[in-house]
Amino acid sequence: MKAIRALFDSQRRHFEKGGRFARLAPLFDATETFFFLPGIPTVQAPYVRDSIDLKRFMSMVILALMPPLFFGIYNTGYQASMAAGLSLSLFDVTLRGLRIVLPLIVVSYGVGFFWELLFASIRKHPISEGFLVTGLLFPLTLPPSIPLWQAAVGISFGVVIGKEIFGGTGRNIFNPALTGRAFLFFAYPARMSGDAVWVADLAAGSGVDAVTGATPLAVAALAQAGESIAETLANTGLPWLTMFLGNYPGSIGGTSALCCLAGAILLIVTGIASWRIILGGVAGLLATGWLLTLFAGPGAHPWFGLNPLYHLIMGGFAFGIVYMATDPVSGPGMENARWVYGFLIGMLTVLIRVFNPAYPEGIMLAILFMNLFAPLLDHVAVSFRLKKRVPNV
Amino acid sequence: MPTVAMKKGLGLNITGEPGPNVETVTGFDRIGVVPERIPFVKPKLHVAEGETVRRGSLLFTDKRNPDIRFVSPAGGTVKAIDFGPRRVIRAIVIDVDKEEACESVDPLSEKKISAIQKSDLAALLMKAGLWPFLRALPFRDMADPSGDPPAIIVNLEALDPFHPGPLVYLEGAADFFKLGMSALFRLAPRVMVAASPETSTRLTILAPLISHTVTGPYPADDPGVLLYYTRTSQADNRSWYIHGADVVLLGEFLKTGCFPVHRVVAVSTPTVRYYCRTRIGAPLARLAPGLDKADTIQIMAGGLWRGQRVSAGSFLGMYETAVTALPDGKTSQFLGFLRPGTDKPTRSRAFLSRLRKGPLPMDAGMHGEERACVNCGTCATVCPVDILPQFTVKAVLAGEVEESLAHGLLDCVECGLCAYVCPSKIELTEHLKTARQAYYMETTAP
Repeated sequence: MKAIRALFDSQRRHFEKGGRFARLAPLFDATETFFFLPGIPTVQAPYVRDSIDLKRFMSMVILALMPPLFFGIYNTGYQASMAAGLSLSLFDVTLRGLRIVLPLIVVSYGVGFFWELLFASIRKHPISEGFLVTGLLFPLTLPPSIPLWQAAVGISFGVVIGKEIFGGTGRNIFNPALTGRAFLFFAYPARMSGDAVWVADLAAGSGVDAVTGATPLAVAALAQAGESIAETLANTGLPWLTMFLGNYPGSIGGTSALCCLAGAILLIVTGIASWRIILGGVAGLLATGWLLTLFAGPGAHPWFGLNPLYHLIMGGFAFGIVYMATDPVSGPGMENARWVYGFLIGMLTVLIRVFNPAYPEGIMLAILFMNLFAPLLDHVAVSFRLKKRVPNV
Repeated sequence: MPTVAMKKGLGLNITGEPGPNVETVTGFDRIGVVPERIPFVKPKLHVAEGETVRRGSLLFTDKRNPDIRFVSPAGGTVKAIDFGPRRVIRAIVIDVDKEEACESVDPLSEKKISAIQKSDLAALLMKAGLWPFLRALPFRDMADPSGDPPAIIVNLEALDPFHPGPLVYLEGAADFFKLGMSALFRLAPRVMVAASPETSTRLTILAPLISHTVTGPYPADDPGVLLYYTRTSQADNRSWYIHGADVVLLGEFLKTGCFPVHRVVAVSTPTVRYYCRTRIGAPLARLAPGLDKADTIQIMAGGLWRGQRVSAGSFLGMYETAVTALPDGKTSQFLGFLRPGTDKPTRSRAFLSRLRKGPLPMDAGMHGEERACVNCGTCATVCPVDILPQFTVKAVLAGEVEESLAHGLLDCVECGLCAYVCPSKIELTEHLKTARQAYYMETTAP
């Protein structure tokens, strides 16, 4: 520890004004404050400050991302091994998963950090910790078969267009990780949708016929009029429990509702994420799903008759509502607006799934759409609040 | 009795609470006056170095209203007048005589007070140098003697750590307090006295005077908070206020006719913690021995939330009843953000310390670097007067005066809680304070 301290102290001069690497001062600052929580005294009242800072705030999110990350690595390896007819032992599967997922994470962090550092150096502001979350969220939303270069393009778009051109962390209107994913979704649909992309190395596999690589949302879309989606899913080997646990092909981190639930509990208990958004989202999803079941009938599309509980665990809803919708920057800041925001995300997710089969993954577009409306929701909520005040002018 | 239950706010559970005993610290050879720490005042000096002054002699007036006088809290010789940058008067130091002479007026009994005219009483208080203890909301400047306040708010509690509470400073001073109250009733049509339920039950002798029960953590003791919860019209916003401990001074003056200087002060430093009976202008180094030798501490006079940073060589100001010193928080911590944080005081739930019940050690560090606002909304969950600091500060910084006023900028009690809880370490309180003062200057400028 003392050696690290000494290293920083001896190298600082190169990064100060006039030093050889003065332009890279944000890099030095970010590295130093990563190792040593800086001791800055207060200069004005209040003279005491809470121990929480943005580093702690964001590390709690990273911690909450660990269950979907670890399960995602396992599941990616499991699906790929199964498709290739390889050993399904825990060790082999995890190793295989690591070989697929780790490069994606490294690329996401590496390329994203490059942009982050570039903008921080030019604008001369510190590197924000928010990127640590974006850089991990992004790969977890991708199909495991995505080429690394596309991941690099996606995170670049997310960081630069989704965040930096608005002024950096705190000023972006869209969730950067989702912006990057949406870009890939529309720019490279062949690698982001369909049945072939959700299992890594599928084409290279031994061609086991039983493995289709279809996600539950894709399977559900196959149900014919008059059939029940739940039955179709169960017949394809996707009963409710499997989908809840997450052991099926899908995006790397988004398959397991159970892991997302664990993350949600951690985020809510530590007070980092807004429980209003999460509960509002679940309520909106269930309410809309239930409302649509009222229109179900022999002639209606099978989506109408789906038990709303299936919506909760299908696709990326759980991951999106827990980790993406609760991003405080792109969501509203008023507590009652957060209820509405969450509710509408849940509602839109179901509406997109049911009425627009072209975009099976409703949650991504629902969140981005509501990001756009967050300031409006805030504006309305603040106006209501201000009307109640006795004026003091 | 109406109860005001403050819903938000925040109590700090930190170590350093002074012990229950009250000690007496007197016998100073130097007493100091610190105009620098009196808000808004523009002092015009009326003494020079070497002049002899009595207790109650004029030291300086306020250029904005020369009738508001600030008098000497000690009798003796003016030894030094310490000027800071731009000739701000840092301190007027007085060598105290053994036999202190005193400017005195005829004492006033309760009967006489009930017959006195408001203008005469105001003139008396101004001449004697007690007027500055009365202050006016919303800007917290000294009250305007020509003004007609709708009410005077007296709050007995002192919740900013660590201040002597009413049970400490009213011990043996109940008569002074009652006399002071009778004077306040002459100055305004309505006097609101707020105290916690505990104070009301334990100080039975004063119970009839208490008009409001306030519950809740800091800043439930603030007059602005009481006003926010009780006001019915816009006119109420211009109420005056005075702290309970200053009402005691007022009563002492009316009883003795001499400028009162007795204070009960809470001292809390890493080495000493106690309540002391002392006097206004006492050298801080005498109240808290060892203060001048430690160089890794920050010293605050007047509390952790709203006090001011002072040097060890300074003196006890006229409004201050607390001297607090904390470790300066300059020590950096290896991988600090990854630790479970069992000993880190926090209002968030992101540290394991939330599972502990006992008080935790606090230092005067920022505990992080400043970052952009992430709109988490934590500040709005603690604001005692329901301002939305995250939005209000943005309106302030964008220069939207009308909007920030609509947000309740003038209701802000400058408690400091928003800046305390901010994970991005934004100086929210300072932004609001600066905007309030700028608005005040603009509206009162000739």
